[in-house]
Parts: sequence; C-alpha cells; structure tokens
Amino acid sequence: MIGSDVVIVFVSLFIVFIGLGFYGKYWRRGDLNHVHEWSLAGRKLGTTLVFFLIGADLYTAYSFVAIPSGVFAKGSLYFFAIPYVMLTFAVALVTMPKFWTLSREKGYITASDFVKDKFNSRTLAIMIAITGIVAELPYIALQIVGMQSVLTVMLAGYTNSQMVQEISLLIAFVILAAFTYTSGLRGATLTAIFKDVLVWVTVIVVIIAVPISIGGFGNAFKAANSSYVTLPENLVPAYATLILGSALALYLYPHAINGVLSAQSAQKLRNSTALLPLYGIGLAVLALMGILVYGVPDAMKFLSGFPESSRGILVVPSLILYSLPGWFSGVALLGIFVGGLVPAAIMAMAQANLLTRNIIKEIKPNLSDKSEIKITKVSSTVFKFVALGFVFSVPATYAISLQLLGGILIVQILPAVLFGLYTKSLRKMPLIIGLLVGIISGILMVETANSFGPLTSSLLKTMFGPIYIAVISLGINLAISFGGSAIQKKIDSRKQVVD
Amino acid sequence: MLIFLPPSFKMDMHSKARYVILALLVLIPSFVNLWVPIYNRDSPELFGLPFFYWFQTFWLVACTGFYFAYAKLVEKKP
Repeated sequence: MIGSDVVIVFVSLFIVFIGLGFYGKYWRRGDLNHVHEWSLAGRKLGTTLVFFLIGADLYTAYSFVAIPSGVFAKGSLYFFAIPYVMLTFAVALVTMPKFWTLSREKGYITASDFVKDKFNSRTLAIMIAITGIVAELPYIALQIVGMQSVLTVMLAGYTNSQMVQEISLLIAFVILAAFTYTSGLRGATLTAIFKDVLVWVTVIVVIIAVPISIGGFGNAFKAANSSYVTLPENLVPAYATLILGSALALYLYPHAINGVLSAQSAQKLRNSTALLPLYGIGLAVLALMGILVYGVPDAMKFLSGFPESSRGILVVPSLILYSLPGWFSGVALLGIFVGGLVPAAIMAMAQANLLTRNIIKEIKPNLSDKSEIKITKVSSTVFKFVALGFVFSVPATYAISLQLLGGILIVQILPAVLFGLYTKSLRKMPLIIGLLVGIISGILMVETANSFGPLTSSLLKTMFGPIYIAVISLGINLAISFGGSAIQKKIDSRKQVVD
Repeated sequence: MLIFLPPSFKMDMHSKARYVILALLVLIPSFVNLWVPIYNRDSPELFGLPFFYWFQTFWLVACTGFYFAYAKLVEKKP
C-alpha cells in the first residue's frame, strides 16, 4: 500500500492542473465562438508552443504504457518506437508545412476539408472523416488504460479498489470535459506544458537514479531475457516495417493535423518539427523502463501479484513507486496520469471537428456558425465518454491491441492526403476503392495473423519474414490508387479523341 | 568558367545543389533508421547499455541536427 505523501502530492498537483485547464480560456484571448479559435487556438501558436502541443501527441499513454509494456514482454522489438519517432518527423518536416500553407489559404481545419476541395468528392471526404474518427477511438481508449494503470498501482491493496478506480476516472473525465468545453485547444496547450514538465523531470530522475541503485544497466539486462540485448535476426523485417508504417501513420491522425494547423507560420512549424526528435529521448528512457524493472526486485515482486497479461501496462508506475521516494512518486505518477488525460482531450476535439465539419455539415449544409461550434463542443464531450465506456467494458490488454488496428486504418488515407499534396495524377474513384480495399485487406490480415482470435499481433508472416500489416495494406492501396488513376486517365484521353 | 554562362543558368545550378542538400538532410537520417543491421549489435556498450539501445537514443540528437539544418536552409530563400 502506498503512503499518504504520494496521495497528497498527486492530488495537489491535479488541482493545479485543473486550474490551468480552466484558465486557458483567458489565455491569448480570442472569440471562442469560432471553430478555428476553439479548436486551433486561433492558429497563433509559435515554435515553442507547437513543440509542446505536438510533443503532447507523442508523449501519450502510447509511450507510458504500450511501448514499455511491449519491451517488458517481448524485448528489443518494441524499441522500434525510437526510430519511428525520428522517421515520422522527417515525413512531417517535408509534407506538413505545405499542408499548413494550403490550409491557411483555403481555410481548412481538417484533412478531410482538403480532400473534398482537391478531389471534388464528398464521398471520399466523408470516408476519410469516418476513418479518422474510428481510428482515433482506440487511441483515446489507450490513454484511459494508461490512467487506469496509475490508479491500479496506487490503489493496490485497498478494499473496493476497482470501484474507487472507476469513480476516480469518471471524476477526472468530467473535469476534463468541462475545461475542454470552455477553453478548447488553449486549455489543452497550457496543460500540455504542465504535463511535459512533470514527465521530463520524471524521466531525468529515473534514468539517473534507477541505474545507479541497481548497479548499472548491465544488471537489468542480465536479469531479463538474453534475447533482449539486440534484435533477433528474424525480426529485422518486422522492426523496419513497424518503423515505416508507424512513421507514415502518425501525422495522418486527426489530432496530429489539428496540432500542425495551430502553428502561427509554416516556418515556425518547420522549426518545431525539426526539434521534436529530442522528445524521443524521453520516450527511449520510458521504453528502457521495460528492461530496468527486471533489476528492481520489489517492483518485480509487486508485478507478480497480477495476471501475466496485465503486468506490462503496470511496469512504469510500479517501477516509479518502488524505486523513487514517496513524494516524488506522487509527482511522477500524476505526470503519467495527466499524460493520458491531455492527449485524450486533444484527440476528442479533433474527432469532433471531423464529425461536425465533414459529416454533419455535408448532410445539413446551412448550419450556422453558432450551431457548428455547439455541436463540435458537445460531440467532443460525447467521444470522451464513449472511449471511457469502451475501457470499462473491455479488458485493458485488448484496448492496446485495438490501437494497433487503428494505425492500420489511419494509414489508408495517405494516398489522398499526402500524395494529394504533390501530384495531380490521382483521381477520386481509384482513391475511394484503394481506401476501401486497404481497410478491408488490413482487417483481414490482422484477423489471419491472430487466427481470428483475440488481437495480439499486427505482423503478418510472409516469405520475407514478419511484416507490419499497415505497410502491406498501404502498398495494395497505393497500387490501386495510382494504377487505377493511370487507367482512368488513358480511358479519358481516348474518349476525347473519339469525341 | 561560370561567368560565361547566362545568369539564369547559374541560379539553376545553385538551386539544384540546394535541392540535393535538402534531400540528403532528410534522406540520410531516414536511411540509417530503416537499415536496421547498421545498429543491430551489442558492443560497444555504454554504461552497460548495449549498442542497439544507446546508438538509437544518440541518433535522436543527430537527427535533430540534420532536421534543424533542413529547416534553416528552407528558410533561407535563394
């Protein structure tokens, strides 16, 4: 059981967090009755703020839970998150400033806005919006799993811990919903900075204190499996394709696009994107915690009290609790807790934008500004609670697997969104078919790879070794989109000759 | 020799070189990241950390250097 020092620090910092969230409304004041003011903070964020905001998209429960959990259970394979982060910023550095410039000129708020305008297709735009909303849901659910893991570790040993945990989560979400409703992206940006300070302090303390207390990294590696030291030869194709597929997917998520568009200028966006790999250092430390924990006997003993499948998600909070002083654990655990809360807010906001602008407005085009913002705010609240309900009803390990599926889905909008920025040769029909076939083939391959049972793997065994399914299904999608467009062009030009 | 060429051609040479440099600043780090055998080894260790882990962490800093050079070069219009 934990001491009261942990709880006191945790709760008082959470109160500061709430204060910042509500204060966001008054920060860099704008008319929050406009969608771009509420959800893009008026497109006024400079290099540093965009750095923190997009960094918040990166330092999510994905880094606190999914990656350390994978490293803990499977070893070096899950360290792919580090090169993935580097590659994703290369992609963003080249493509996103162009997207920003176009969006500023034409007033886009979502990727779907761009696609509708570029390809003159409502169907394709609506499909892209739906893909974004669906792919984002398990990502939000993962954030909640991260928050849950903190509460599980803090409440372990108390009676009624399950009920207390669910009530705490519910309270946290009501507060979150309240301040995103009133403050929009401004509230999220301010709390993102607060969260990042806590997380960075935690990461620095852990990477110095833990190796010293266990007598060096070497001992942790000795205690772990010997296959953790390097990547087993047969997993090299998996590692490379996980890097590639995830790197291509990240900036297609609605919340990442939202962050990009809140930048003040294309150059400021470029500068902050260039600096973002530095964020990955923290991610590397968090990933290493999946191995460091093997060198901390108390934490391992604590973990052994849980079923094997749920140990992974508890690695980071229990390592913190069993290797750092109590008051400091309070700081670190709150950092992880709000590290799930802030991204969840940004993600739900991005989903709400898609729903209102690209689905509801397509059906009811004469929506007034006032009702548009109203629907956006309300639906962002609804999405949060949908994700919460999802986490309460399915086991945590299952939520992580679904996030893998989210990546496979979102990467299918790449041909229209990223290639659409550069080439004139793509047509709407092949893009629609490519998107559908990409999604269906992706889901089928995931089901095959897991023998139609619970989802645990996103790798398909091929003649080249295991390959990340997102890459294969994207390949199929690209072939259809480009091949189909070329054929259509030929048919069109022949028709012209006949005419 | 260059002075005998028309001024527009000189500009072209300059902007071509600029494009090549920009491309390399993004492609070199990406190649290293994707070519896993480059860093998939255990020694030399650093503070007991196998090469595989510390190299990729160090490479984050190097990448930032490459990317920042890219951002600054784009900003400096020819």
